[in-house]
Amino acid sequence: MSSTNAREEGFNLELRVYLIQYLVLAVFIALGIRFYVLQVARHEDYQARAENNRIRDIPIPASRGAIFDRNENLLVDNASAFNVVVTPEDITNKEDTVNALVQNLDIDRGELLVELNDPLRPKSQPILVKQNASLADRAWVAAHELEHPEITIDQQPQRVYKYGKLAAHLLGYIGQVNPKQLENPEFKAAGYKSGDIVGQDGIEKKYDRELRGQDGMRRVIVDSRGMPKAELARIEPIKGQDIILTLDLDLQKVAEQQFYSKNETGAAVVLNPQNGEILAMVSVPSFDPNVFARNVVSTGSRKEVAAIVNDPSHPMYNKAIQGIYPTGSTWKILMATAALEEGTITLKNSRIVCGGGIQVGNRFVHCGKNHGMPDIHAAIVHSCDGYFYRLGLKMGVDIIHDWVTRFGMGQRTGVDLPGEVRGIIPSREWKKRVNPRDPVWKDFDTVLASIGQGSVAVPPIQLIRAEAGIVIGGEFHTPHLFKQAKETQLGAVKYYDDKPTEVKLSELTIETVDYGMWGVINEGGTASGVGFPREINAGGKTGTAQVIAKEKVRGKEHKDHSWFISFAPMHTDQKPEIGVVCITENGGWGASASAPKVKMIEAAYFSKKLGRPILPELVALKTQPKRETTRPATGAPAKPNADPKRRPGTP
Amino acid sequence: MVDIQRKFKDVDWLLLLAPIALTAFGCVGISSSAPDGSFVKKQIFSLGIGLAIAIAIMFTDYRKIVMNIAPFFYAAVLILLVVVLVWGTQINGNKAWLRIAGFSLQPSEFAKAATILMLARHLAHQRQTSLSIKDMLIMAAIVMPPLILVYAEHDTGTTLTFGAILGTFYFLGGMRKVFLGIGVVAVAVGLVAVYPHLKRYQIERINVIIHPEEADPRGFGYQTIQSVIAVGSGGVLGKGIGHGTQGRLGFLPFAWTDFIAAVIAEETGLIGVLLMMVLYLVLIWRLIAVAKASRERSGSLIVMGFVGLIAFHILCNLGMVVALMPIMGIPLPLMSYGGTAVMAMFIGVGLALSVRMRRFVN
Repeated sequence: MSSTNAREEGFNLELRVYLIQYLVLAVFIALGIRFYVLQVARHEDYQARAENNRIRDIPIPASRGAIFDRNENLLVDNASAFNVVVTPEDITNKEDTVNALVQNLDIDRGELLVELNDPLRPKSQPILVKQNASLADRAWVAAHELEHPEITIDQQPQRVYKYGKLAAHLLGYIGQVNPKQLENPEFKAAGYKSGDIVGQDGIEKKYDRELRGQDGMRRVIVDSRGMPKAELARIEPIKGQDIILTLDLDLQKVAEQQFYSKNETGAAVVLNPQNGEILAMVSVPSFDPNVFARNVVSTGSRKEVAAIVNDPSHPMYNKAIQGIYPTGSTWKILMATAALEEGTITLKNSRIVCGGGIQVGNRFVHCGKNHGMPDIHAAIVHSCDGYFYRLGLKMGVDIIHDWVTRFGMGQRTGVDLPGEVRGIIPSREWKKRVNPRDPVWKDFDTVLASIGQGSVAVPPIQLIRAEAGIVIGGEFHTPHLFKQAKETQLGAVKYYDDKPTEVKLSELTIETVDYGMWGVINEGGTASGVGFPREINAGGKTGTAQVIAKEKVRGKEHKDHSWFISFAPMHTDQKPEIGVVCITENGGWGASASAPKVKMIEAAYFSKKLGRPILPELVALKTQPKRETTRPATGAPAKPNADPKRRPGTP
Repeated sequence: MVDIQRKFKDVDWLLLLAPIALTAFGCVGISSSAPDGSFVKKQIFSLGIGLAIAIAIMFTDYRKIVMNIAPFFYAAVLILLVVVLVWGTQINGNKAWLRIAGFSLQPSEFAKAATILMLARHLAHQRQTSLSIKDMLIMAAIVMPPLILVYAEHDTGTTLTFGAILGTFYFLGGMRKVFLGIGVVAVAVGLVAVYPHLKRYQIERINVIIHPEEADPRGFGYQTIQSVIAVGSGGVLGKGIGHGTQGRLGFLPFAWTDFIAAVIAEETGLIGVLLMMVLYLVLIWRLIAVAKASRERSGSLIVMGFVGLIAFHILCNLGMVVALMPIMGIPLPLMSYGGTAVMAMFIGVGLALSVRMRRFVN
């Protein structure tokens, strides 16, 4: 083949070859520099990103501790639930994901967006969007695994309140920690993080640290689809401590049934006066805490929660510790004790005229009837207002205030439940503060305060703590529900640390009060017609708390609140071992609505103690009346007395 | 004919060993990232065939190939490209593969070699110092049939490669500066004109390079970002062969083809990358040396055609791996998994060896 040297022809191929050679060299140098930049200068950054790519910490939630009653009957436990979770890190198109969840799994868009847009939440932490996923939900998630790898099914423990509404106020409920709580330094210090489930009320809240346990973690290598390929490390979760309450399930059932069976609302506290252990605590109406456990962002359960929160009868409100009511005549026990201790009266010389009432300035304040000139015993037994009006005037408001304050009135009892209120115990300073138009304390105020009316308003728990302290001889125990936390890897066994406040009271005073209360039931007193079994030797005191007159005019449901406080046994050589306080809202006279309830509770207590069966109808919670589903017949809106926000001077 | 002994003395061993080393290097990356071991076996098998082809070509006079065989090879490749369009197997959206007896054949790879030979053949007898318009039109006419057929396969990367081959030969042939200017303007105008008609993914791939910080890390930016992470996390020494996580855990999809360099960079670090680049430079330098030494134009042109092809592939592929170029499906010569591509490259090597062996024979 004939060929021609390119150079001879003036066709400068060689130059072009050189040009290409240098061009190639330039390209290689540029690429080399780029590799150097990525692999040396920015190496650490990319190394971290490569690690983030492939290593993921998947939390293993710890089961919360179970809650038992004093006889180790299970009250609250965990069941395994299938939950739908979304991992924000794996979301490619937020709008698509949100639409898919809203349309197919019935999840609330607004709530979901709040969760998704939470800047505090780590992107790798899955968001629980639906608890208790149905079979259909699970099938949908499985079928859309490829389009939506960010949506997965997770098996997690779910809180189960075995008895639904029963004792809901004291057990409380759980929910995801909210942003406000996270800002709380105490929460921060305890290591709570966004998305954690925490106790939001009751025992669940108060003992959250004990109950919550410690989440475990799986550190896994994942592939580009987020599927775990291998496990690098695993920290097993540690279950929270089981808690044993002082509560007695049977008594709780009996106590609640007293209200439900009569379609009445109110509160009751049953405790052991000798140590403050709460055996039952009732607040009616109630709510089902399971609704909160189920609730995350599915529309259905949001509605259920909203129904509870917005219910005008305020079912979430624990009247036993948050409802404040005038004490009515139950107050007379405190008055009598104070007067005897102060020496205003002596047992030998305690007769004061009743007079059917008293003239104060231009007003006459009535007693129920004219009791003649009773002594202190008769005054208690027959609840003579006239006697106590005059006794109050003799003592003066300062001394009354001083003594009831020593008994803990107007202060929180320290019960181990969140949200307890202080109530109001009027004094000169108090009146000056809340009533600037009429700042001066008058005799008329003293007269009203002497029988627990007027401005006196306290939660039932405060009243029973004070009077329990007196009847057992001056030992004021803190009412409490916590008995024991069982040992786990996390915490040693814990018991309640009972530190009673001592107030020195004379034997004679105690004996007088004790005998008076016994007389109320057993010597033809105000509660003698209630039919307390003789052998239990119960003593008590009725009370009728006036509902503001204006309210009364509006409808007959605004009858007075009915109080009864009782201890048993009394007037024997034994100290009382059970104390019950009960308030029936708009129940009328003390002996008519509340005393029968207290009788049933005490009867049940002693039946149980003697090993006898408790009458089945007392515990027949399953046959609860219509209140379960329908609004109470009385339809009473929030009682002014039961709403602390409406009362002046309430902390 | 020269005797065998002298021929062996004239073999450029570096020119033969460098591509073998590169293929072997590629096999390391393929074994680290491909889903099963058969990929490496097939690649080694292709290397064997490629070597056989190269040696066969080496012993053949390249001038015979250019003058007598090239048109038939070109015609056969065009027929195969048509056949592929009709009966081809679709892989990842490209209908570029023919399945024959258990092997996938990618005719477009052979088409590159055939086109280079045809262009070299046309320019072999050129006498002018610069290309006439007629020459340029004829050259374009040579390139267009395979280019159009490949474009019909939706193989954008390979289509661009044909443009690059044509450009290389225009440059080698001595295109007038006027045309060079016109060409640059035409390409610029063409890009602007084409840009709005690009598919969304193509636009996004370009945008990823221009605005990496705005790219959707889970969407269009995904491969580029994951590739850069793989390269960067490799550091100087690499994570060790078989210990790369980006490639192994599937963060780099199809790493064994277009992103083989990212796998190498992740596992062997900058050291491995530099070794790879040195091997490529050795290959290209030896090829250029052959081109310079050739006393005959068609020999120089064939070899420089392959140099242009290899350089374009390296620029595009490594540029893509380090996020300097958009993703366009151009494999890394010899290293990316793909039997036909390896064979086609060894055709080039064989031709270069043949040219070198006959450098004094004029």
